[in-house]
Amino acid sequence: MVERSQKEVWRMTPWLVIVLLLGNFILMAFDAKELTTQQRVIRVWSQTAADFVQSPVTSLTSSFSNYFGSIANLRSAQTENDMLKQQVQELQVEVTGKQDLASENQRLKALLDLKEKSKISVLPARIIGRDPSVWFDSSIINRGSLDGVKLNMPVVTNGGLVGRITAVSPLTAQVDLITLDKSGVAGVIGEIGSSNVLGVVKGTSKKDLLEMRYVAGSIDVQPGQIVYTTGQDGIFPAGLKVGEIIEVSSESASVPHKILIRPSAGIDSMQEVGVLLYEPPVRGEFEQKLPNAVSKDKTHK
Amino acid sequence: MQQLKLTIALIIAVLLQWTLRNVAEPFAYIDFPLIIVVFAALHRDSLKAIFFGTFAGIAVDALSGGLLGASGFSKTLVAYAVSELARRVYLDNLLLRIPVIAGACILNDLVYFGLHRLLGQPSSADLVVTVSYSVIGTTITGTIVYLILEYFMADRTRPKRREVFSARRQTRRRNPIRLNK
Repeated sequence: MVERSQKEVWRMTPWLVIVLLLGNFILMAFDAKELTTQQRVIRVWSQTAADFVQSPVTSLTSSFSNYFGSIANLRSAQTENDMLKQQVQELQVEVTGKQDLASENQRLKALLDLKEKSKISVLPARIIGRDPSVWFDSSIINRGSLDGVKLNMPVVTNGGLVGRITAVSPLTAQVDLITLDKSGVAGVIGEIGSSNVLGVVKGTSKKDLLEMRYVAGSIDVQPGQIVYTTGQDGIFPAGLKVGEIIEVSSESASVPHKILIRPSAGIDSMQEVGVLLYEPPVRGEFEQKLPNAVSKDKTHK
Repeated sequence: MQQLKLTIALIIAVLLQWTLRNVAEPFAYIDFPLIIVVFAALHRDSLKAIFFGTFAGIAVDALSGGLLGASGFSKTLVAYAVSELARRVYLDNLLLRIPVIAGACILNDLVYFGLHRLLGQPSSADLVVTVSYSVIGTTITGTIVYLILEYFMADRTRPKRREVFSARRQTRRRNPIRLNK
């Protein structure tokens, strides 16, 4: 090994710093450019390598916390059991009602000759890692391209919409939450078909708050109403529950409402999620030619 | 041997950064790789410090929602700044190192935040709150980590007594018998 004098090292260091900073800057520029289009190879490799560390640590810590949690839960088990029995009875009644409705729905659909939509399959996944940087809040799940996960696939919990896949490695995938500033979901207040109050649901960078924009001030909106996805954004399928309206600030009919929404999915405490193996329908040629449309080859990579 | 120890410490720091936030949210405010990078820089090993900064930063960026290379950029810059400071000012005292790591943390966070703003990828976190918590977390942890690292880095082979005390000059005794001759 070549021994360098201290003076040589001091002389060399600023140049090396400039080279390394430039290298990092090029990486950043590349990453920023490719964020919405292609996969990043370096990221894919790193995520695959990190999976071998993250998965065992998460399993170990969760088994510890589950063990102690189960001991603590034993105390309230009896009351919980009684409550659950009552809930089961109520649900049985509800299920019977739903079955009647479902059969009625089927009959009506058959009458109208509607094609039954194919169900979207859900891939269960576990969150094995969180963003190592305090400035961002993405999550890493233990499912990757080998399981069929692709970019932009929606991620849900039983409560509702969580986010979408933004990077995929063979074993893991990165999820960007809907609460992020840069996220946007096409939403509708009330169920599709019965409502036409459309808007865009944006993140507020707070985990328990979303904001719905562009809802005309002339429309009556009340707290407690539920917001669903419309499917018009080309990423999320229609009918996913986004959240519940908790606050509406209105000024005049010409100014859009300021609507705050509480996400239905417990984003703070989620451990298990589901990846919807859903690929949005390819847009028609007419839509591709629109001036603000993203080109076809870039959106579906 | 010291180089190996420091490299192992950096690898452990990156692994901790990858995993600990999933265990408890407050761990996100501790920048483990930065602690090791600053430690290397304080030992006037500028080359190693800047390489550590780049690699640790990119490793963290790879799993982050932020830009790839942003943390590498900020940590490389911090490593160079601290190593230049350590070259000019005597910083071997632990008490003097505490403000250095706090300053390094502030610089690192500001550069990271600024780069994302510059490239149109704003972070969702509040600047003042995040920097404050980050400085507190990293400085306290850094101080403890430095104590541990200094303990492991110290050359603990006990020197022989002969090496500690300077060799006494052995004056040759005059032979009284010969003197009489």
